[in-house]
Amino acid sequence: MGAGTLAAVSCERAKGARGGLLRFIGKPTAATLEGSLQAPAASEIDEVSHLLARLTFGAAPGDYARVSAIGAQNFIEEQLAPAAISDYQCDRVIRHEFSSLENPVSRLFPRKGDNKDPLQQLFPALRDHGAGVSDLYEYKEKVLLNELTGATVMRAVLSKRQLFEVMVNFWSDHFNIDPSKGECKWLKAADDRDVIRSHALGNFRDLVRASAVSPAMLWYLDGRVNRSKGADEKPNENYARELMELHTLGVHGGYSQADVMEVARCLTGWTVRDKKQFFKGRVEFHHDLHDDGAKQVLGQEIAAGGGARDLDRLLDIVALHPSTAHYIAWKLCRRFIADEPPAAAVEVTAKAFGDSKGDIRTTLRALFTSEEFRGPAFRAQKFKRPLHFVVSALRASNAETNVSPQLVEYLLRLGHAPFRYPTPDGYPEESTHWQSTLLWRWNFAAALADNQIKGTTIEFEALRTKLGGDEALMATFLGRTATEAEQSAYRESGSGLALLVASPAFQRC
Amino acid sequence: MNSPQVLITGNGDQRQTLVVVFLRGAADGLALVAPIEDDNYYRARPRIGIAKKDAVKLDGFFGFHPQLAPLAPVFSAGELAIVHGAGSEDQSRSHFEAQDLMEHGGVAAGGWLGRFLRARPAPASGALACVALGKALPECLLGAPTVTVMQTLDDFALGAKRPGLRPEIERLYALEHGQLGSAARDTFDALQRIDQMRAIPYKPANEASYGNDEFSEGLKQIARLIKADVGLESASIDVDGWDSHFTQQTLLTPLVDKLGTGLAAFHKDLGSRMATTSVVVMTEFGRRVRENSAFGTDHGRGSVMFLMGGGVKGGRVHGKWAGLSDDLLEGPGDLPVINNYRNVLAPILMRHGAGADQLPRIFPDFSLQPLAL
Repeated sequence: MGAGTLAAVSCERAKGARGGLLRFIGKPTAATLEGSLQAPAASEIDEVSHLLARLTFGAAPGDYARVSAIGAQNFIEEQLAPAAISDYQCDRVIRHEFSSLENPVSRLFPRKGDNKDPLQQLFPALRDHGAGVSDLYEYKEKVLLNELTGATVMRAVLSKRQLFEVMVNFWSDHFNIDPSKGECKWLKAADDRDVIRSHALGNFRDLVRASAVSPAMLWYLDGRVNRSKGADEKPNENYARELMELHTLGVHGGYSQADVMEVARCLTGWTVRDKKQFFKGRVEFHHDLHDDGAKQVLGQEIAAGGGARDLDRLLDIVALHPSTAHYIAWKLCRRFIADEPPAAAVEVTAKAFGDSKGDIRTTLRALFTSEEFRGPAFRAQKFKRPLHFVVSALRASNAETNVSPQLVEYLLRLGHAPFRYPTPDGYPEESTHWQSTLLWRWNFAAALADNQIKGTTIEFEALRTKLGGDEALMATFLGRTATEAEQSAYRESGSGLALLVASPAFQRC
Repeated sequence: MNSPQVLITGNGDQRQTLVVVFLRGAADGLALVAPIEDDNYYRARPRIGIAKKDAVKLDGFFGFHPQLAPLAPVFSAGELAIVHGAGSEDQSRSHFEAQDLMEHGGVAAGGWLGRFLRARPAPASGALACVALGKALPECLLGAPTVTVMQTLDDFALGAKRPGLRPEIERLYALEHGQLGSAARDTFDALQRIDQMRAIPYKPANEASYGNDEFSEGLKQIARLIKADVGLESASIDVDGWDSHFTQQTLLTPLVDKLGTGLAAFHKDLGSRMATTSVVVMTEFGRRVRENSAFGTDHGRGSVMFLMGGGVKGGRVHGKWAGLSDDLLEGPGDLPVINNYRNVLAPILMRHGAGADQLPRIFPDFSLQPLAL
């Protein structure tokens, strides 16, 4: 048989079995639409609609009313403290549907029996014969990527900790790892859980440190083969360079090639056990492979004999460096304010980052209270990236979804499926990169409106009735009342919901 | 007035398209292009070797599988080049590992074709710049700026069931100035072209005769897109089922027929457009030289690659040929890989706009020695 078929078939079957379970435990994603569903009444994006557009993956019915009631500042504080938000429904779905992601590192690699699905247990005739170890590795790789992708989209749609999910998305790009490289295919799941999600609203230095010793990152940027065995073995500079260029200081952050080489020396000896070894996936420091001489990074001395502690000395220098504060602030402002962020906002954000020693919450609070973020000048100016676009459509339409492969297919066509970006810089943020995706946005809009995406359904009439008619429905999607042109297009299109999702205004946030 | 190509892709008259055909399951290079003047070949394959009398003679040493006869005129015309002993450094002889390595272009993130499309000075950006024929995105296209996975042109319909939708979308975007407005206009332009194509039943040019199978059907769609100038820069298509462990001849005959008929029809159909089109045919590895007890062959190493069109130095079997005597074979008796697939792809990618400084990013950690193709 052709290679790949076995794994694909088994995955499909396993997925089907889980889809059945989802139906069994009830309809988890569509809300019951209780409480006030009052839609925006202003003709321009107001403060509440702006907050919902930027701090979340899009407003769901009722969000505008709720945030208006508690007030903008309380909403920001609520979102900055995700642990205090009860997210029972989302947690339950993730536990039920994406259980592989909870495995400890060693169990992310496949073991005998991993590909046994319930159907095969019941009907031995269905069993795939001749599945070797490589088949099992392939199988597990697909299961993990499917679950990682599915859980990411599901959380974006469903979680009440919306800002947390937005920041997970931000850091996933900032510390991008493409699972298709080497053993990242199994290890990225641990990176997502133990690095990105553990520190998304924590402290930046802790986040960088977790990433530096993340098994997946050690694979992705070749840290695992960065070692020094005497003078003739040159360190591998890959991670060292990206640590400074992409993760901390930024490309104009004031480091030199000599600094790159010194940073690489600091990190020699850190490695991860591969799939052929015992304790696969375990991160270790090998003193005998570490260059233990003195180093100088950005003009600061790291004394000889530091061993594994070189990593922490190094992070003391780069993680909270003023260039890092500026670079992270600039990236955050680019994400939350504008593709070309205003300098004043970057400055107050960078100052908060520095003063708080990299506390991400404090940094974000400063950004969200900056004049530039709050004022009207930058509202509705950003172009939603495709994931944001798709998720915001699902949220606004109160869709019931199991994040089927058919839904993910749209993200692939839009070039923005999670965990599919090859280079360490992460998916681009600027709108220019995403302009060519319009056709598939419109196709998605039409398919969603006509319930043509397997596993995803909307109930348009019920939604319209609950919201109180066409005008309120339009305002719920657009974050403001519809213009005359939009109203007329909505009426004439024959599919109001498709038109709204496809409209220029819905591409913006 | 600008041509649609300029509008859609911004790449003006560089209307080049790269088509990648992947033969999944490890196609037997020694059956596709048999060394019919090598006695060792018939000693190793007494029952399933391609008989000298059946083979289509190519250059006095090699001969095509009889079902590849439709490609013989293309080869003689110098528009088809063959590279024998081609493959990757993979030693696992596992379909999964070898396909992965080959499509990724090494232990690297993303696929080689995806990186190529992203690395060029003017990255492919049109809505239809890259299509994958079939149901899933092949690994070689991972990381491409935009890819459309499609089975037929109907996948490009917008709101077919809602005729009122498209004009209303168009009307709203017409009110948009700047980037978003012009992106929308380009997209509607491409859609219109596809509509025109769909409206007229397709008649291949030059009496090209495609087969009635998925491969031919896919190639036909690619040919239509190329001719419609929608900005297609690369396309990929698979032919599955080459894993010939038993009764190889019975298994391969219809497959090779499908391959030969499809490629020959595509070549004829495109006519002069073939000059700006390149087709690459590749597979993850070849098969054991000696046939097995089940009239089949097991997993091996070197196989063949085909390159068609686009100013390729055709009519020749390129690369070094080691021979098939036992002392020259590798491991359990396999044709060694003499021509790494990257060295075959590199000259093609350069013809399609990859600069010398981009090649190391497309094929990292590999010291390239591009063949003179």
